[in-house]
Amino acid sequence: MGCVRMMRRQPVYLVCSPHPRVGTSTTARLLADYHVVEKRPFATFDTDPHERVLATFFPAETTVADLSVTRGQIALFDRLLVPSPEVRIVDIWTRSYRQFFAQASDIGFFEEAERLDLQPIVLFMTNGSFDAVDAADEIARTWPELPMIVVSNEGAAPLGEAVHDHLASFPTDRNFQIPELDPIMRRHIENPNFSLSRFLLYPPSDMSLVVRADLRTWLRSVFAQFHSYHLRNALEGTRYLLK
Amino acid sequence: MKPAVILVGADKGGVGKTTVSRALLDYLAANDIPARAFDTESPRGTLQRFHPAVTKIVDVTQTTDQMRIFDTLSDTKASVTVIDVRAGQLSNTLKALKDVGFLDAVNEGDFTFVLFHVLGPSVSSLGEIAEIAPFVTDAHYFLVKNFINDTTFFEWDPKTYSSYFGKVKSSGDVTVPKLDALACEKVEVAGVPFASFVAGKTGRGDEAQNSFVLRGYVRTWLRNVSAEFDRVGLRALLLPKPRRR
Repeated sequence: MGCVRMMRRQPVYLVCSPHPRVGTSTTARLLADYHVVEKRPFATFDTDPHERVLATFFPAETTVADLSVTRGQIALFDRLLVPSPEVRIVDIWTRSYRQFFAQASDIGFFEEAERLDLQPIVLFMTNGSFDAVDAADEIARTWPELPMIVVSNEGAAPLGEAVHDHLASFPTDRNFQIPELDPIMRRHIENPNFSLSRFLLYPPSDMSLVVRADLRTWLRSVFAQFHSYHLRNALEGTRYLLK
Repeated sequence: MKPAVILVGADKGGVGKTTVSRALLDYLAANDIPARAFDTESPRGTLQRFHPAVTKIVDVTQTTDQMRIFDTLSDTKASVTVIDVRAGQLSNTLKALKDVGFLDAVNEGDFTFVLFHVLGPSVSSLGEIAEIAPFVTDAHYFLVKNFINDTTFFEWDPKTYSSYFGKVKSSGDVTVPKLDALACEKVEVAGVPFASFVAGKTGRGDEAQNSFVLRGYVRTWLRNVSAEFDRVGLRALLLPKPRRR
């Protein structure tokens, strides 16, 4: 019965890191574009009121919520809990990281989400440091039932040799890797008018063939991981059929 | 259970005494302790607006109203009577309690008497303690620092503080933490007990569209206030001690 319930629970992706420049907004953006390609409805939430990355690329779908003020907290948490068919993606700004989890704990957000059949999923962006391991471990200890995926964005925070041992100590068996992107292509995707999903669905004919091929490979490798996670969850939800 | 009277008062206005009374009524309800309340803000009462089912408005200086309160202490189903004393009337009310013989009855063990004295931020607030001291020798006397309105007790230096506190037999301090301003305002507007706001209910018991964040703020605040009441042993004071077999 629990599996059936899990299948039906609507995901709320919490993309976060206690460290800056690890690619949190890029990952949230990729996740949103993945949902565009998959034609699944979604809503995005940007908690950085100063540098609104998600709001730039998804103006119609994004709510900007400044967590330092009560009205911003209401704009985020209350909207996350409204019954809706949309998958929710939250880009948690580094400076809001501690506050988000402290407040979620204070107001009982995760318990309420469970009651409303929502499934919060943490996408924890790592820089491979011991600090990151400790921070991920703290979340896992505080909310042992909360699924966590560790994401390493090799372009934003290149990982050294020794870091893979650290990664192995994260409290999770789920890892996403976002490969490094060539600086030329990075310039392309940072253009506010460039949509990753539109590129994948309707590749522009005026773009260099090399750039197009590399970018497609990059996106496919990331989306394949999202897709495999989605399928795994769907499979978990149908396990009851095998009994 | 021995009937108990809880007096909530201050000699200054605007220190959040009705907030403390409201939190107390929620605490008593949560602990299944039957309670009634008297609001002395006659003719209009703030406490009654939030807890209309259990609150009556009285003028505690009038004999008829004194009879309504004290002559019914043993007859009522409510084992606890909360009296929210009008600002500036704490000393007079205590004097009235002495005059009607209530304090003597407390001394003889007929009733439990608890006083929550809500302090303001200034040193003059400490001066009230000396005025009250003669009336509270048999009371469980608690000093309440109310931070709900972002009060800072900036004028109190530790020496002054201890010199005043040495004059009175206090059972302890209760700290009421700050509540988020918007949450505070929304509960005021809703005009319901804190517990109802947390449960997302209107005064009539219907579903209310309260913000989840604000409910969360109030829930955490109420939990912390209740923990303070527990810490000073309020529940044990009010509930009968279990009989030994």
